[in-house]
Amino acid sequence: MALDYEPKIVGFLCNWCSYAGADLAGTSRTTYPANVRIIRVPCSGRVDPLFVVKAFQLGADGVLISGCHVGDCHYNEGNFHTRRRFVLLRPFLDYLGTEKERFRLEWVSASEGKKFSQLVSEFTETLKRIGPRKT
Amino acid sequence: MTKVITKEDLLSWLRQLAEKYTVVAPVTSNGVTLYESISGSEVDKIDLSFSNTELSPKNLFFPPTEALFTIVQNERPEIIPAKVDREAIIFGVRPCDARGIALIDKAFLAEPADGFYKEKREKTTLVGLACSAPCPECFCTSVGSSPADPTHVDLLLIPTEAGYITQIVTDKCKQLLMGAPVKEAEAVQPSLPSLKSVPAEGITEVMSKVFNDPYWDRVADRCVHCNICAYVCPCCYCFDIRDYVSKGKIERVRSWESCQSAGFTRIAGGYDPRSTKGSRLRQRWYHKLLYFPEQFGDIKCTGCGRCVRSCPVNIDIREIINDVQRMRA
Amino acid sequence: MINEIRNKAKELLEKKRVECVIGYERATDGLTARPAFIYDPSEVDRLIFDETCVHNLSRFLIDKKHKATAIVAKPCDSRGINLLLNESQLKRENLFIIGVVCSGVKKVRFNQIEDSLQNKCQYCPQHVPSVYDFLVGEPVTETASRNYAEVTAIEDMTSADRKLFWAEHFDRCIRCYGCRQVCMGCYCYECFVDELDPLWAGIRIASSENRMWNTMRAFHLAGRCISCGECERVCPVNIPLMLLNRKLEKDTVHLFDFEPGINAETTPPFATFKKGEDLGISK
Repeated sequence: MALDYEPKIVGFLCNWCSYAGADLAGTSRTTYPANVRIIRVPCSGRVDPLFVVKAFQLGADGVLISGCHVGDCHYNEGNFHTRRRFVLLRPFLDYLGTEKERFRLEWVSASEGKKFSQLVSEFTETLKRIGPRKT
Repeated sequence: MTKVITKEDLLSWLRQLAEKYTVVAPVTSNGVTLYESISGSEVDKIDLSFSNTELSPKNLFFPPTEALFTIVQNERPEIIPAKVDREAIIFGVRPCDARGIALIDKAFLAEPADGFYKEKREKTTLVGLACSAPCPECFCTSVGSSPADPTHVDLLLIPTEAGYITQIVTDKCKQLLMGAPVKEAEAVQPSLPSLKSVPAEGITEVMSKVFNDPYWDRVADRCVHCNICAYVCPCCYCFDIRDYVSKGKIERVRSWESCQSAGFTRIAGGYDPRSTKGSRLRQRWYHKLLYFPEQFGDIKCTGCGRCVRSCPVNIDIREIINDVQRMRA
Repeated sequence: MINEIRNKAKELLEKKRVECVIGYERATDGLTARPAFIYDPSEVDRLIFDETCVHNLSRFLIDKKHKATAIVAKPCDSRGINLLLNESQLKRENLFIIGVVCSGVKKVRFNQIEDSLQNKCQYCPQHVPSVYDFLVGEPVTETASRNYAEVTAIEDMTSADRKLFWAEHFDRCIRCYGCRQVCMGCYCYECFVDELDPLWAGIRIASSENRMWNTMRAFHLAGRCISCGECERVCPVNIPLMLLNRKLEKDTVHLFDFEPGINAETTPPFATFKKGEDLGISK
């Protein structure tokens, strides 16, 4: 049952890879849905689980964390920590009623502008399908 | 012959009242009994066999959270009106809890009165329910009340074999009782259950002498400052006020707090006059047994026993009173 | 059993090896236990130990960080001690642990000791404490395996049902923070809910803030909660808090092969990683 609504996605993008990748999507004039609100962080490992839960509390329908590919972290290890937090937080939020489809972790490098735009399109579609996240 | 209302008639009367009034009554779910607002069709959810609720009825006049006013950017401050649209009836108030509300009244209704509290208070009728089987922790008789004390309710119902004896206390309930299915019946008021006594007589005077005793630190060893005693208490009323800004609006919010929290007395600059566990624990007893009586004339305790039941580490006001009296020597 | 505890306590106090012995004494109801702090060897007869000793005494070690303290420890309490040692909150040389072999703490309702064990004991895999200096009771071979049936029951609900389930529970929360105060893992000087900027929850007591509180407190204990069950026991409005902590424990054991509190020398799961670990996420 898809409602006609515009999903709000909050995206935490790491400065060195994902944010640059998103920027590339823009400079390449790629069209993709404007549903993502981007917050630039130095590293995906900067993302505290509190940020994710707060984003949902304030009205996000979906939350995306995006960082450098595993092994390529600008700070060497940050994304390993992101991974560990994510694999525990996502099922936990699902357990509490925030569907796992609403929370994603994806690796996007600085050259993957197309990948980023496809990711946002796909995420927006999914969120449209599952509906808004009422508090 | 006395005026009596049977259980079935009581429930149908409440069903009828729920059309015009907000009816609040004790409901048990998830293993805990709490006062809940019930609609006419939910009257069967009322737990008439409860001993006492986990949280006292003070919630209904002094809620855990309340917005006091909102200021919208560039406009005049808009005070959220304290107005209550529908009058309320709280059914099933135990005499100890009614006394608790009366104690809070002394603080909140003293001039200048708290408008939010006053509005709710004036628009609410208290229907009391006398206790037939008090809990082992109860000691209301030692602090000026009793299981069938009508003093602070508007109408007292006393359970008997024949139904509930209706004892009118104030004029407020006369309106309510018009048309209520009250009958004349032979009903014998049961003898009051007896409660263990606690030597509260003269406690205020002894407290004034033992402030510096190391006793308070020893008891505080096991206190974890969880706030539970203050939150379940029918007569504790400390709160915190914060302003929250969002989307061009400032909202002033008042929420329950307790003197037991670390940082309750922290002031700008970082100094905290009650930074030790012992000083915070001591404050609780001093407010209840010395400061409040000095200011308002009554011990700030109703003997309901909730704190004794809920304290995770068995800090027991009855034991404190006994210990303090022994320090008199 | 109790005489061994009392004698050891007396010895430690007389020799001034410790300043205080934290144990249990009889509560005012004459039936259950409560925490006891013994400072004088002449008072050791206050100490008791029976199937009502439910409290996690390791919580009190946080208040006695720099003092030489002895503590009576059941297996769950010993896991709490290991957690605090692991996180450098206590010095091992300050502690004397009187470990007690435990067969479970009974439930108490309406002032009667019931036949059934507390929830936490029903799924506890240990009888012998993980760490001790002196053991009271006969050690047994541990045969119990980890079982998360109550967590799976929630996992098997539909998402919509889970949302309603938790909303009903969190709506009752009055933010007394009893759960936080009794937890030995919650020792932060400033808790996230007390922070003004950034404002995570604030003082307003409402659905949304209550969700934030309960979700994040549990998550801050992910991989740290040692399942002493105190948070759930003290909650005045009966929120089934252990369902939150146990879900995270289940996932921590399964994903990181890590059991909290078994060992004081381990590296906590969020303080480390394995490069090649397959956690089910794409590269």
